[in-house]
Amino acid sequence: MNQPLSRRGFLARGGTSLSSIAMTAMLAREAPSASSEIDPTRPCAPRPSHFVPQATRVIEIFCSGALSHVDTFDYKPELVRRDGQPLPGNEQLVSFQGPNGNLTRPLWKFQPRGESGKMTSDLLPHIGELADEICFFHSLTNKSNTHGPAENVMNTGFSFDGFPSMGAWINFALGSESQDLPAFVAIEDPRGMPQSGPNNWASGFLPAAFQGTAFSTTKPIRYLDRPETIPVDADRAAREALRFLQHEHQKRFHGDLNLAARVASYELAGRMQLSVPGVVNLQQEPEHVLRSYGADSENKTKAEFGRNCILARRLIEEGVRFVQIFNGAYASGGRINWDGHSDLKKQYDIHGEILDQPVAGLLRDLKQRGLLESTLVVFATEFGRMPMFQAGNFGRDHNPDGFTCWLAGAGAKKGFSYGATDEFGFRAEQHRITPHDFHATILYLLGLDHKELTFYHNGIRRRLTDVHGRVIEEVLA
Amino acid sequence: MSTIFYHVLLAICFLSVGVNLAVAAEDAPYRVFLMEYCVSCHGAKKQEADLRFDGLSDLPREELRKQWHQIQQKLAARDMPPEDAKQPDAESRAWLLDWITKTYGEAMEGAHWAFQPVIRPEVPDTVGPNAIDAFVLAKLKQHELDVAPPADRRTLIRRVTLDVIGLPPTPCEVQAFIEDSDNLDVAYARVVDRLLRSPRYGERWAQHWLDVIRWAETVGFETNFERPNAWHYRDWVIDALNDDKPYDRFIFEQIAGDTAEADAALGFLVAGPANLPDQIGRDEEAMRHARQDELDEVIRTVSQSLFGLTIGCARCHDHKFDPIQQHDYYAMQAIFAGLSYGDRRLRGKQDDEWSARVPQVRDKLAALERELDEMQKTYQLRPPLETIQTELFKSVHVDAVRMEIAATDQGAASLYEFEIWSVADDGVLAENVALASAGATPAAASFALANQTRHFDNLVDGSVDKRQAFPWVAASAGPSWLQIDLAAPVTVDHIVWHSGSSTPASYEIKGRDAESGRWQSIAHTKDRLPRTGDMRAATDVWIDGMSRPQVDALFKLLLEIRATQSESSRLSAGPQTYAASFTATPDETWLLRRGDPMQRAVEVAPAVPTVLQKPDATSKPEREVDRRLALARHLARPDHPLTARVIVNRIWQHHFGVGLVETPSDFGRMGARPSHPELLDWLAADFVAHGWSLKELHRLIVRSRTYQQSSRPRDDALAIDAESRLLWRYPPRRLDAEAIRDSILTVSGKLNLQTHGPGFDFFDQRGGLSDYTVKETFDASGWRRMIYAHKIRMELVDIFGAFDCPDAGQMTPRRNLSVTPIQSLGLFNSPFTNRQARFFAERIRKDVPNGTKQHVERAFEVALARPPSATERERMLELATTHGLQQVCRVLFNSSEFVFLH
Repeated sequence: MNQPLSRRGFLARGGTSLSSIAMTAMLAREAPSASSEIDPTRPCAPRPSHFVPQATRVIEIFCSGALSHVDTFDYKPELVRRDGQPLPGNEQLVSFQGPNGNLTRPLWKFQPRGESGKMTSDLLPHIGELADEICFFHSLTNKSNTHGPAENVMNTGFSFDGFPSMGAWINFALGSESQDLPAFVAIEDPRGMPQSGPNNWASGFLPAAFQGTAFSTTKPIRYLDRPETIPVDADRAAREALRFLQHEHQKRFHGDLNLAARVASYELAGRMQLSVPGVVNLQQEPEHVLRSYGADSENKTKAEFGRNCILARRLIEEGVRFVQIFNGAYASGGRINWDGHSDLKKQYDIHGEILDQPVAGLLRDLKQRGLLESTLVVFATEFGRMPMFQAGNFGRDHNPDGFTCWLAGAGAKKGFSYGATDEFGFRAEQHRITPHDFHATILYLLGLDHKELTFYHNGIRRRLTDVHGRVIEEVLA
Repeated sequence: MSTIFYHVLLAICFLSVGVNLAVAAEDAPYRVFLMEYCVSCHGAKKQEADLRFDGLSDLPREELRKQWHQIQQKLAARDMPPEDAKQPDAESRAWLLDWITKTYGEAMEGAHWAFQPVIRPEVPDTVGPNAIDAFVLAKLKQHELDVAPPADRRTLIRRVTLDVIGLPPTPCEVQAFIEDSDNLDVAYARVVDRLLRSPRYGERWAQHWLDVIRWAETVGFETNFERPNAWHYRDWVIDALNDDKPYDRFIFEQIAGDTAEADAALGFLVAGPANLPDQIGRDEEAMRHARQDELDEVIRTVSQSLFGLTIGCARCHDHKFDPIQQHDYYAMQAIFAGLSYGDRRLRGKQDDEWSARVPQVRDKLAALERELDEMQKTYQLRPPLETIQTELFKSVHVDAVRMEIAATDQGAASLYEFEIWSVADDGVLAENVALASAGATPAAASFALANQTRHFDNLVDGSVDKRQAFPWVAASAGPSWLQIDLAAPVTVDHIVWHSGSSTPASYEIKGRDAESGRWQSIAHTKDRLPRTGDMRAATDVWIDGMSRPQVDALFKLLLEIRATQSESSRLSAGPQTYAASFTATPDETWLLRRGDPMQRAVEVAPAVPTVLQKPDATSKPEREVDRRLALARHLARPDHPLTARVIVNRIWQHHFGVGLVETPSDFGRMGARPSHPELLDWLAADFVAHGWSLKELHRLIVRSRTYQQSSRPRDDALAIDAESRLLWRYPPRRLDAEAIRDSILTVSGKLNLQTHGPGFDFFDQRGGLSDYTVKETFDASGWRRMIYAHKIRMELVDIFGAFDCPDAGQMTPRRNLSVTPIQSLGLFNSPFTNRQARFFAERIRKDVPNGTKQHVERAFEVALARPPSATERERMLELATTHGLQQVCRVLFNSSEFVFLH
């Protein structure tokens, strides 16, 4: 890279930190921690965490549409016993979509799994087999009972649109080990966008350099490739001519870091053109790996989701900081996401098949490659579902008052369950926690103090955890 | 505190306080109060929130004052003592509040610079006529710096043109300026005047305002539906700026445009996202919460854009940093308590024209309806079905009733409720026996599966309240049936059904004779006149006594009636615009504890924050509009400490990249302090003195020496002030997304200058939740300036979204100026830029027909307003010769010089 002045040179000349000459004054004033600065020519350069981290990378699997905890990970024998009876104390409960009917037992059988004997259901048997690796949170609560806002809360800490996503905050804080790939990658479900769409990986008021870049095995980065109409040599010549022109221009504005940043962005774009097709191309993956992720399945959606999970591992291997994989798409009456209001058994049988083996394959593969020790796997959804069926329907309504998410890998306890809902799975009772607590814990595992990771915006130093959040120390390994 | 003062105080206290506090004669009453209510948590044993009140008098006076004001604030808001602790009576509370004010003066709020009145400062001694330069130079001198020499004419005209109108200058304009034999000041003044007169100016600066208030043409949140009539507001802003509408008037119309023939201006208040009624839960709490959220968006818009204050922070608690109490928040909310979101009538010329056409269309409708009456008489048809239909019949004794629906007016069969009424008999009232609670059992051919229940149980649940109950809906369109089995045989003589998502159009109702068990017909539709809204094809309809051609004629007539009805209602409603509407009788406003809509504390009257204007208890607004007029008048006060400072700073920011106050929508304590406080105040005072004219302000700024100086960096100055905040050079910056796209189109010769009206599309849909597909290529309609793009909330536009173009999720008073590889990929590889590069090359070849060298030179002139250097020419000539001129054009679009303002 043709950089007219070294980073050190700036530091020396400025007499203060580099942050006083950053690419925008906004960015300039902000440093993710006292000890680190953001170099505008390399905004995603790795930066130190606040303290020694357990995890250095994150893969988040997000189940859009609200995955039913009572049918998957939260075993409630009393719900089985009282199947068909009204929910005591809430016989006439009206929730999001209207009146509820009677308690309805899980639609899949629960069985003890692994050495821990954790009871999980037959809907997700492959994930269940890995229960000994997983740290379950059974007492999550969300303040919104509406998909879009609740999804926002889970991924940005705020129900409103426009706040930076967790991945953007982490990218802002830590940068990335990879200088050839985006620091934060969002992988959409092959069936479509999640409910609150790009807000899940947006940078909000953080600079755009920290937003997630969306691509998958089926949906490439836009405009990554040379236009077909332009021959290779013409493209190369244009690129070189541009470099020349930029260099001439920089000579006249000696010392302007913005211009250096722009040159650098073309260099990184060039490297991405070379590296992204490689990382997206799964041809070198051996047969048995494809098989273990279900990427060879005849079920096209499952195979594509499995390939997305393999892509996530490959990105992590390349040093990408944060990978977000979506399972489930937009509002569709539960047809293509987990919003099982009307016909839960039929729809979940389809969705479970798509989710289960690929996620289990990913966990196994990470473990086998030794990546799970430094990679935190976050499994989340926006809220849970009611232990009752809705009146006049064969599905469950929204339940933000108690649901399950889980962590696996770096720094989280293995084969552990934290918090509990009541005897029916209706309401979190023991150790009620919020998404802020969940986020604070994830940041902690990355060596970040959620109270120190701030950015000034419209009158307040904003945080991922708003003014809340507690690190859940009980789950730390 | 001096002893004498102390004694005087004590005396006052004893006079004004009754029994409660006077008993502790050995101690000061305020101390008694503290000991009684505060010290258990803020004393020797515990120091909650690090506060301790048992030894207050040991503090220095300034500290003491702060602490007392903190106590005053908490006490006034009833935050303290906490709910579960012992409470002082109202009298003691009031006494202490008063005592604090008497002893320590008004709360400290006044001290913050932004709340001080604007006093026009003396202009420092300086050379030259422009006061801006005097202030800037004085500051530079303090740091032993100087302004840079003037930029050359090419740089200057490119800078001022892009800055003022958002488009690059044409080669002709550049040439004219260079060759202008008048001195620079005169020649430059001519350019500035021309730019400020250009209609392109409003298009450029309206975007800056729309950013501030996160204006968009979809509702946001989950559905993100389109607001198809929102664009009038965008046009109103553009026109207002082009007309140089005085800023106080600009504010007035956006707050009270309904009183000033400016309905479209009210789009301002509803610029933010808002849930649609359907998205709101069905319980009281959810509905109240949604209403609070709606009003919150309005408060945020008004307070951040006009006041430069984050009043929104005080929704749940007093502002943490600024003297904005929770009470102020709700007083502000009360100003807008009558507001609702949605379309409203857009009065004006078009509305008058439409109104004039109404009588004619109504006459036509009346004639068509008479024709229908005639048909009904001719064929002896019964009146059409109602949406709540009563079928009367000779009483029958039945144990079940069945409705066989052959067809509906549109879609699957659906009813909210099906009632079967018993015959009144000798003092026994008629009653509906088709109720689950009366033992009736419903059944139906099918029911739909949806997020909410569509089950046939809904037919007999006894509820038709559409907010609380649900309809039965058949699984699919086509014939269907329902049946109600009664608990016991009943003699019945009428049935009432309530239509659901469709209305039955053709059916037969049968009763099962309680004795024989045989079904007998009790009601049918064979001889009914169809409803006007019947959408069936005529060929599917049979009516007793009518031939096929007669039915065809009837349905043709119905179609014409429908069309005329909708024309009539469209014209009577007038043109619509998405803007705030107001009810004459607003709901009362309550201070909500912790912002919780279920915890109403005290009723609050409309007012602006007390730190800005003492509430006037005597003038209670009578009409709804008076609340808003009072706000508009308050903001337009010439001595308002914020209005002028805030807008002057915004304008400055867009000329120099950074405002004198770096946080343009936050002039509170968390915001930045001004880099040049005197200059800010001088500009504000001058702005008001010149009749709030924005164009005068622009003229003043861009004609300053400060603005016209070179942007070249100097090592010595960089070392002192790397961000150029002191303005020792013109600070260069990247162009924003709109200016880049508009520049590309200008240079390629394809820019379409069509103004006003609905926007063009960046996506294949204009609203909705998800699955937007971007348009990669455009025709002339998509080559309009980017401000005319239909704005979808939370959906970044292709290519240019990556250049920090806001998505209207949050207010963006100042854009980030990131540099990312995604930007580079879009600009270098997208079909849009490459196609425009081709057009650019074609245009150049047309401009200068011969010679590749001439082509390269012309391309530089057009794109960069300068000829290439010798080496540049040589290099680009080589590229053009080997790979075509289009590649040179592509390179120019991607060059930093093209996308930067220098």
